Formats: sequence, C-alpha cells, structure tokens
Amino acid sequence: MPLVVTDAIVLHAFDYSETSRILRLATREAGVLSVLARGARRSKKRFGSALDLFAEGTIEVLVRDQRDLQTLCAFDVTHSRPTLASDLGRFAGASALAELILRFATDERQVSLFDALSRSLDELALAPPDETREVTLAGAWRLVGELGFAPSLDSCSACHADLAIADTLPFSHAAGGVLCANCARLHPSGRTLPAAERARLGAWMADERTGKMSDPDSRAHQRLLREFLREHLAQDRALRAFEMWEHAPWSRA
Amino acid sequence: MSAIDDLATELAKLPGIGRKTALRLTYHLLKQPPEQSKRLATVLAELSDRVHRCSVCFNLTEADPCGICRDGRRDRTVICVVEEASDIGAIERAGEFRGVYHVLGGRLSPLDGVGPDDLTIRQLTERIQSDEIREVIVATNPSLEGEATALFVQRQVAPLGAAVTRIARGIPIGGDLEYADGVTIAQALSARRAM
Ligand SMILES: [Zn+2]
Ligand SMILES: [Zn+2]
Repeated sequence: MPLVVTDAIVLHAFDYSETSRILRLATREAGVLSVLARGARRSKKRFGSALDLFAEGTIEVLVRDQRDLQTLCAFDVTHSRPTLASDLGRFAGASALAELILRFATDERQVSLFDALSRSLDELALAPPDETREVTLAGAWRLVGELGFAPSLDSCSACHADLAIADTLPFSHAAGGVLCANCARLHPSGRTLPAAERARLGAWMADERTGKMSDPDSRAHQRLLREFLREHLAQDRALRAFEMWEHAPWSRA
Repeated sequence: MSAIDDLATELAKLPGIGRKTALRLTYHLLKQPPEQSKRLATVLAELSDRVHRCSVCFNLTEADPCGICRDGRRDRTVICVVEEASDIGAIERAGEFRGVYHVLGGRLSPLDGVGPDDLTIRQLTERIQSDEIREVIVATNPSLEGEATALFVQRQVAPLGAAVTRIARGIPIGGDLEYADGVTIAQALSARRAM
C-alpha cells in the first residue's frame, strides 16, 4: 500500500474516540482525503497542535484504494492560522471556503485548487474585520473557477458574442454568466450585473486586488454567489457554513 | 434481525466502537449471568429519565438546580464558561475553582451547522443581567473553534459589565520545551506573566 507524502490543509476535524480524531483534509496531490489520526487526542507529541482547523503542512498518509478513511502517519505543520479565530467574519468566511472544497472537490490531484485555497485562507487570516466578506467572496469565486465553473463575464454565455465592457448586463445562473440583449429574452434571469461589479468579479477570478465595497454591494455579491453555487454545484443540499457566513448571526445586536 | 445483531448494531453507534468490538461486547454479555445484563438494561433505561440539564448552568444533574449551583459555599459571582458538561468534571478534579459554571452545549462550528443560537449564550447573558456577576472565565477549548466561541462569548458578555477572562494556554506541566510545537510555544510566550 502506497505511502503518500503531500501538502495538506485541515478543513474539518472531529473526535472519533477517546484517543483519536478524524480529519478531512484538502491535499495538493490527492484531492480531499478523510484520515484517521490515531492517538491525536491523547498525546500532543504525535501530531502537535497540527490537528487544528486550517493548519497547513506536509502529511504522510497510507492510502488504500477501496477505503473511505485513510491512516495518517505524520503531520508536520508549516503554518497554522490562529488569527482566523480572532474575528468571527474571518472564522465564518474560512469555514465557508472549507465547505466549498469539502463539498465539491474530488479525490483527484488538483494542485491549483489547493494553492488557491491556501492563498485565500492566508488572505482571510490577515483581512481587516470590515473586509472579511469581500476577501471571502474573492476566495470563493477563485475556488469556483478552479473547480471549472468560472462564469462568462465579457462575452454572452449563450451565443458567445463579445459584449461592451461599460454596460450593465443581465446575468443568468443557468446560462453560466452574462447575456447579450437577444439571448436575455430567451433566458429570463432576474439578475443584472453593473459593469463595475462585473469588473470586480473578473478581478477576483484573476486574483487581482479590488477596492473597498459598500455593504449593500457585498451583500448583493453574496446572494449572486449563493444562487450560482445552487445552480451549478450544490443542487438542493444546504451549504450550512455558507449560510452562516451570509447571515452572520453573531453581528445581530 | 436477530437479538444479537440488534444489540451489536446499537453498540456500534457508540463513539469509538466498531462492528467487531460491538459483537465482542454482545457475546461477552451473553456469557454473563442474565441478572448482569438485566441490571445494565435497567441502569440504561433510568439514565435518560433521571439525568437532566440544570436549569441554571446546564450541567448534567439528577436534581435541579445541580449540586454546584445549590452549594452555598461556592462563589456565585464568578462563572466559568465551558463547552460541555464533561469539562466541569475535569476542572472540579483539579480542585482549584470555587465559583459556578455555565455549559454552552458545544462550540461555534459553521461546518456542523452550529451557530450562536445553538449554544446557551442568551441564557448566560440573562444570568449575568439578573445576578451579581464579577467575573466570567471563558474556558472553551484552545482550538480554533473554541477560540472563536470564546471571542463570541466575550463580545456578548463584556457590555454587561462583568470582567471577562480567558484561561491561559501553553506548555503543559511536566512537558518538555524541546518537544512542544511552535504554536504552543508561541502561545505560552504571549501569555507569559511577571514573576
Ligand atoms: Zn447572446
Ligand atoms: Zn447548575
């Protein structure tokens, strides 16, 4: 049975027994893996504080094909992200990104998806509290793109005609992006995307920094992302972390 | 399904017990005198009838309020906030804390669908508003989720006037610096105190 050595990020962790924990990991070489960390609860010597959420490092794992649960042999943490817990917007945003990966990534090698996740978590760990929503949106769209669902933003997603950059355009989740005036009649969508917000979405997908957003704009972007995920990825299954991030119940008075 | 399968299936739902162990336990019970199994069945049936949540602190208890909340020698002006009732046992065994407790019933975990409304934080703020509380010690686990939960408790409690403190983290007693990981050492350094 092969010993796989790869970079990994802890996305979900829960106790399995008195002594062991089960971790769900995003890995660079082996996609999403569920692993059993024996003795992780009892002895900190074995895995250190590695087994905390969003920690990243190099793992050694015994991978057997027919199994859902693999055996973690070692986890050498290169960096943890404790500041993701020092702001609830960061914490919820990171959880929403983790959920995207857990739900939609496969067990195949996806190097650029892993790197995009790592970078997005790093940015979130440093994000000022009033920018966490925007940084999470940027990270989430980046992951959506890496998963192969990038929306079409500068040509019609139905007929592929080039579209004027300065226009507000109809956006259809079903068609997978913006629409020209002709196609919009065939795909009643209910959403329009102003040129500035289209440019912002494009910048997020291209990994470019964007300016600060107003609260209504960032909320509109959360709705757009939620609808897009439902159309293309989530189907009818609830995205619990995403919902909590969107509704931010801790910010209520 | 046979009676053996029935019991093994139920046992296998317990944490840390796989199908093999469940069958082993089932056959073990069958080898015991029948009174032994009957006694186990009675105790199990009584468990959920007799044990409830304390209406004050949400500790598990047979009497309401629980023994700690009723104990007149305890300092009611200091509340120690923990994730689970089982954490109270660990702190009580240390014999150091003389205040009272509040059990949150978990920790914030968006991936598991656990948000603020799923914890007893509203009840905690009500306690603080109606009683004379000097200090709230937040003793959630030093994990990322425990820290986020601690932060949320602090945000809710601080405006009510009680002092909010967080248990220290760092090198365990009897531990060895050489074997401590970087995160733990960093925490221990940032939580250092004058001597
Ligand atoms: Zn078109
Ligand atoms: Zn009580």
